[in-house]
Amino acid sequence: MTVRLATHLGSLDLANPVLAASGTFGYGLDLAEICPPERLGGIVTKGLSPRERPGNPPPRIVETAAGMLNAIGLQNIGVETFCRDVLALLERRGVTVVINVFGESFAAYLEVIERCERETGIAAYELNVSCPNVTAGGMEFGHDPHQLERLTAECRAATRRQLWVKLSPNAPDLVGTAQAAVAGGADVLSLINTLRGMAIDAVRRRPILATGCGGLSGPAIKPIALRMVWEVHRALPTVPLVGLGGIESGRDAAEFLLAGASAVQIGTAIFRDPRAPLRVLEELENFCAGEGVHDVTELIGGLAWK
Amino acid sequence: MARRELSSTCFAIRLASELPLEAIPGQFAMLACGNGLDPFLRRPFSLAGVSAGQHGTIVELMVKEVGRATTLLRHQALGNALQMLAPLGNGFDLTAVAQRPFALVAGGIGLPPVLFAAEVLAATGTPFDLYLGAATASELLEVERGRAATTRSGGELITTTDDGSAGENGFVTSALLRRVTAGSQYGRVLACGPTPMLAALADLGRARSLDVELSLEEPMACGMGVCLGCVVTTADRRRVPSCKEGPVFKARDLAERWWE
Repeated sequence: MTVRLATHLGSLDLANPVLAASGTFGYGLDLAEICPPERLGGIVTKGLSPRERPGNPPPRIVETAAGMLNAIGLQNIGVETFCRDVLALLERRGVTVVINVFGESFAAYLEVIERCERETGIAAYELNVSCPNVTAGGMEFGHDPHQLERLTAECRAATRRQLWVKLSPNAPDLVGTAQAAVAGGADVLSLINTLRGMAIDAVRRRPILATGCGGLSGPAIKPIALRMVWEVHRALPTVPLVGLGGIESGRDAAEFLLAGASAVQIGTAIFRDPRAPLRVLEELENFCAGEGVHDVTELIGGLAWK
Repeated sequence: MARRELSSTCFAIRLASELPLEAIPGQFAMLACGNGLDPFLRRPFSLAGVSAGQHGTIVELMVKEVGRATTLLRHQALGNALQMLAPLGNGFDLTAVAQRPFALVAGGIGLPPVLFAAEVLAATGTPFDLYLGAATASELLEVERGRAATTRSGGELITTTDDGSAGENGFVTSALLRRVTAGSQYGRVLACGPTPMLAALADLGRARSLDVELSLEEPMACGMGVCLGCVVTTADRRRVPSCKEGPVFKARDLAERWWE
């Protein structure tokens, strides 16, 4: 049985519903030998800021039960270097590219978008308003619905390309921030980013990460991510969602589609297995075949609820 | 897979890979020590040797049991299949330097890349002295194998222990410094071991204009340059992933306190 894998996020057609998540796949080419990015539904770049950022001091990562904490601090090469050295190579390979945009101010988000507007080969922008590891920008915009609506509206005015907003699971009012992003003009919502967490070395009596706290990812957060996708889908049933958070298998991906996501991103699983996105895609196809699902989009929002 | 005890805490494992695989001393493998989500991440291990086997390649690793992942690895049944990515990162520069011998320096479980380098250099006829240091006699590993390679290269084997229970008493770096002060002229120093030992060698390199290469060990999630968890600071103040731009660095390319 052949399974139709194509999906779409509003006006954006994707060859399949499996994307690589920001911060876990470099700039799209870093793992290309093992996981060719053109075979995925798309890739989301490492968060790009107007200029190169050095990120946080080490230690930046620590393993936890069924997951890990990170406090990278959005180290990145800057939008100019990305546009000059990487983007054309992605376009030549036919990769669906989503730019993850980060700034410490509204102006910085706009600067990244305006720089990218001079280029071709970009499918969408994903606003990173949910990074827990930076002192300015990021999560502070994602937690306040009023600020988030304004930021989204300003970015909306700067581009005709699709605008995604990546929601924070740390926000006090998830649905409120989702509605604010949509009110500001977001086409697509991706969720969730990492959950703020902490690890302590009891012998040294110190936090393990240099920054004290970090973002928790991996299968440990999957039930929370599923619940959040389902809640946002229920509140905003017409808004296309991209689900992520601890997806390790094709069956995990199917669960996110059933909760209401139209596509999924694979993140931390890539650290365990750089081929994970392709494996998840193959497993999702097999799952559909096994369940008699001819078209993967049949799963979207298909959660049965008595 | 075969396993051999090296000490009460350390063991060597040999893994058979179906794929042909060539590696340079200093390169490493990311190995899944368990089979499920526990432990969640693979662990980096420096390669201790790579050789042709009956059906592909034999990869040798040396492991110190320090936590859950390495304990699971110690108890993996022989014959189990493990997921491994190798070779990763760069390796030591083994090209000869103007007739001068190399100094190879290993501290504790920093032995694998140094022993691998010793065996490759011995096979290519490049002379070296081998410095093996450990906290105590029972943690001096693979001394006879080190001696065999060193003898073959025409060099000297120097062993040290912090408590004086075997070899020279004191740090392995002190033993190297004594010989350099006495006039030993090394073309290059290749080293792997605890960070304070490597920092001391970097200092020695700066003070004596010695070419020093260090194999670093930092916490890693991916081993392929995408998680940016394992960064070290370079002399020009960049934070670079040690998995991809290392794990071997020229000491002069690193910041004096590269681990901060």
